Amino acid sequence: MSETIVQTNKLVKKYRRGKIEIYALNGVDFEALRGEIVGVVGPSGSGKTTLLNMIGGLDKPTGGTVVVDGRDLTKLDAGELADFRLKKIGFIFQFYNLLPIYTALENVEVPLSFAKVPKEEREERAFELLRLVGLETRVDHKPDELSGGEQQRVAIARALANRPSIILADEPTGDLDSESAISLMKLIRKLKEQHNQTFINVTHDPLVVQECTKVYTIRDGRIQLNEKT
Amino acid sequence: MSALNMALKSLGRRKLRTALTVSGIVVGIAMTLVFLSLVAGMDIQAAQMVRAIGGADITVVNATRMTRQQFQQGIINTLDESLVTIIEGVNGVYDTSLQLSLRMFVNSTGVPINGIDPSTYSVVTGGLNVINGSSLSEGSEKEVVLGKIFADSLNATIGGNVIVSSAQQDGESYEIIGIYETGIALQDRGCYITLDEVQNMSNKENLITAILVKCVDPNEVPTIRETIASLLPDARIVSPSAAIQQVSNLLNTVRMFLFSIGLIALMAGGFGVINTMITSISERTREIGTLKAIGAKDQQILKIFMSEALLLGLIGGGVGVSIGIIFSILFPMFSGGLSGLTIPGIGGRLPGGGSGFPGGVSISPAILPSNILLCFSLGIVVGVLAGFYPAWRAARMRPVEALRHV
Repeated sequence: MSETIVQTNKLVKKYRRGKIEIYALNGVDFEALRGEIVGVVGPSGSGKTTLLNMIGGLDKPTGGTVVVDGRDLTKLDAGELADFRLKKIGFIFQFYNLLPIYTALENVEVPLSFAKVPKEEREERAFELLRLVGLETRVDHKPDELSGGEQQRVAIARALANRPSIILADEPTGDLDSESAISLMKLIRKLKEQHNQTFINVTHDPLVVQECTKVYTIRDGRIQLNEKT
Repeated sequence: MSALNMALKSLGRRKLRTALTVSGIVVGIAMTLVFLSLVAGMDIQAAQMVRAIGGADITVVNATRMTRQQFQQGIINTLDESLVTIIEGVNGVYDTSLQLSLRMFVNSTGVPINGIDPSTYSVVTGGLNVINGSSLSEGSEKEVVLGKIFADSLNATIGGNVIVSSAQQDGESYEIIGIYETGIALQDRGCYITLDEVQNMSNKENLITAILVKCVDPNEVPTIRETIASLLPDARIVSPSAAIQQVSNLLNTVRMFLFSIGLIALMAGGFGVINTMITSISERTREIGTLKAIGAKDQQILKIFMSEALLLGLIGGGVGVSIGIIFSILFPMFSGGLSGLTIPGIGGRLPGGGSGFPGGVSISPAILPSNILLCFSLGIVVGVLAGFYPAWRAARMRPVEALRHV
């Protein structure tokens, strides 16, 4: 049994909308092991993305704890959280969120430059990552010159830049055709096998669910571990 | 991929908007520089005028104002030499010097000729600013010192001769011993010989046009001026310090006025920058969210947006200064066809010099390095100040909300 890398304990996130309190998360216990591909499914507005944001240190919980790679995120300040995201987490978004002014290579370089990696090493690593995702011939293209599938591969390369232990993906195939989605999931599986990274995917897509080693369902802020079929 | 590099790319991507924003700063900077150059030009003119008025603390002239017609007929308002004894009796007067200035002919050209007493003239005024040769001295006889412009027009050289004549007397040969320059065209078109010679040639024995007065203590000039005024109620009494005061008051007003217009233009430019930056930030909210998600710290976001503002300021300052310089250089061409800008009140009669040519003084802007530097820095300051609030807002954005932004 491999080690636990993400663990939430009685996680609560409360929003106030006017006078009404809304529980986006209401006592969520979640666990992911190193090297797992975890799926989180559930209807829109069920709290999936909120959970992902808590694990990624983008948002603070109202109650409970989030421990990622041995660190309790609720005890970190904004600067420490930024540093944590930079080094431990890679994000993948439904709409890729690449920076439109930059080439594929430069987009992958951005997190490296935030981590103050020197220029030459940065370029070398970015190129290496793009080759890993099969885009070594597209390094000088800007996002609007790439297909959706290619853009998402650039986003994955960017997420991997600082060798994070966890990749958080919010609907990674949500904007892709099934062919691209299939090859994207193949890539994720390959990366997991090569680097033993942990992937947590929030998704609706059965193609993604199929690749997961375990799947949680969230409904109305409560979580439940599915039996793998 | 430094913050500056990112800022450069981001401005380059929005060329039209960048150009429009920059043009706001450019207009402000260019206007400010042109105005400052105009004021500097005026300062220089005023300084030259003060130099032309001479070192005399007080100048006493006839109070009757001449019409242009009288002036053209060669009529000159004179004073009697004997008045000088009254002035010399005033407590605090150090020395006096007499001057008779009128229109005579040099090589048949009508020019203003000033007759002075060389020894007292240099004591009272500090002497002529001779740039070539020497000035008149105690024993000068049939010697002339020419103004630079006049000398140039004659192609005169030191040691050469000119014929000086008047309406009353035939010409006599004078040796050119020196050339002076005041910087004021009016003055530099004249010449100087001794007082006795001018009086003889014009049949104005014992008559003068101006009494120049030097006081013991410069601080007492206003009091002595009052005393002389009460003793000689019919004379006009001018002291350069009063004139300087008047000119400098006027210039300060003009300076403040022009400078405020420039500043208002700059402020408009500044608001343009704020506006662009805020628009740009709301457009890029998701981008900022993404940057934060992949690990950018607040200060790194701040740096990126401040760099953009700094660049806008740098470009605006640079282009603004260049356009300002071009307009300052072109300015005399626009105003040259007219009589130029005139400073009212000081163009008309220059006491001491004695030429009373009516008319204005034309101003050409002076482009000072200090003003260029000032305007360039202003551009940067405006860019940075205007960029700070939007950049701070971008840096403080909460990543979750920024990412949710569509």
